[in-house]
Amino acid sequence: MKKTSLCLVLLALSGCAGVQPWERDVLARPEMSLDTAPLDAAIDDHIYFSKEASSGGRGFGGGGCGCN
Amino acid sequence: MSDKDTFNATLAAATCALLGSAVATPVVAQEEASRWSFDSTLLYYGESDDRVQDVSAAVSAVRDFGDERKLSATLTADTLTGASPSGAIALDRPQTFTSPSGRAVYTTNAGEVPLDDTFHDTRFALSTSWTQPLARLYTFSAGLGFSTEYDYTHLGANLSLARDFNKRNTTVNAGVAWSQDDSNPVGGRPVPLSQMLDVGNNSNKRDGSESKDVLDLLLGFTQVLNRTTVLRVNYSYSDSSGYLNDPYKVLSVVDPLTGDTLTRVPVGQGPDGVYVFESRPDTRTKQSLYAEVKHAFGKPVLHFSYRYMTDDWGIDSHTGEIRLRWPLGEGYIEPQLRYYTQSAADFYRASLVGGAALPRYASADFRLGEFDATTVGIKYGHDTASGNEWSIRAEYYQQSGSVPQQQIIGNQAGRQQYPDLSALIVQFGYRFKL
Repeated sequence: MKKTSLCLVLLALSGCAGVQPWERDVLARPEMSLDTAPLDAAIDDHIYFSKEASSGGRGFGGGGCGCN
Repeated sequence: MSDKDTFNATLAAATCALLGSAVATPVVAQEEASRWSFDSTLLYYGESDDRVQDVSAAVSAVRDFGDERKLSATLTADTLTGASPSGAIALDRPQTFTSPSGRAVYTTNAGEVPLDDTFHDTRFALSTSWTQPLARLYTFSAGLGFSTEYDYTHLGANLSLARDFNKRNTTVNAGVAWSQDDSNPVGGRPVPLSQMLDVGNNSNKRDGSESKDVLDLLLGFTQVLNRTTVLRVNYSYSDSSGYLNDPYKVLSVVDPLTGDTLTRVPVGQGPDGVYVFESRPDTRTKQSLYAEVKHAFGKPVLHFSYRYMTDDWGIDSHTGEIRLRWPLGEGYIEPQLRYYTQSAADFYRASLVGGAALPRYASADFRLGEFDATTVGIKYGHDTASGNEWSIRAEYYQQSGSVPQQQIIGNQAGRQQYPDLSALIVQFGYRFKL
């Protein structure tokens, strides 16, 4: 029952979930990855962590720096 | 399962089987040829008015072991120099401060927001992670991180597990990270709210290091919305406890009427005004909600993200970012725009009033104040004939803040209260495979 509910919720959240494996031509392009430029993202997170009171969100919060 | 679903599943299986048998050999050959991929970057970060300057280099290496098993490691080196606001207010007279080491003094000109120019550091950071499928539809990853600088060390570990649903159109992931940071400030840890003392008098400083523990939890949800759009939503919870002060930040203690810093007469060399070291709570809980969308309009790709963060220090922030990647010749051009705004911490004080009872917590660190920040940037990436990529990115970051009106006392009204900040960021990148 629980499993069915979870599946239903996921199905509802996913709209019709109509993207089939052979329709992933666009999504498979490297620039469509959500982590296209991890080093750029890490650098930005580090700069903003040291200059602002917020961090994290995209992944685990910045840190490892005595700059804040 | 409906007839259509059954048909689709059968067709998918047949397609995979056909593709698999037809291209098996070339795929293996390609994997053999490019097991290692590298991403390297060189960064310059420079603030206006001789404030912080940073030159940083980072190299990230990923070793692909096949079957979606990957080991990655990133090594970063930073060299920082320059000046950073101490938290003291500007005055119509020059001001003298004892440097954090307790061995010398530095001065600030009349009318200027005091900057501590003894700031310089070199930092090395290493992070590694291992990712592998755990079962069909499950992906596991684990990482370790370490960083060291003159007065600070960090050690962290993280684990995460992702599960695909819905023909891999939906991914749910959960992660946990823990870190311990040790702070061992130059000249010792000042007792919170104790006065800045003369050169040679370290009686308010404590030796040895203090630690901070951070626990992060993350729950994420990624959804393919259609053939050209993907959405990610993350909820994060972060709990810090331990030494959360910035040992180098002070507050000016001012006259209740004029708003000018109270004067003192140093014995030998020392501060000519009354300054006390900041005091922050020893716990902080942050929560954030982050959402991002990527959408392809033909070749161009639009990326939008938004983050809301709130914490129990009274800080709320909103961050919005947009990037548009536009194909250009053998590469692409990507304009970027980011806007950030935060409210002040409950214990943010531009200054403390002399004679009044000291609050338990107080900080004049501008990063805990109310401000907005805008980043405007552009990146150009170029694909080489051998399949590598080089890129250049330039960004301009500008912060502009304000002190709450009710905190401005007497003469402070006519002076610069919040030091606006602007910085130029230039970054070169090169990605290659071996």
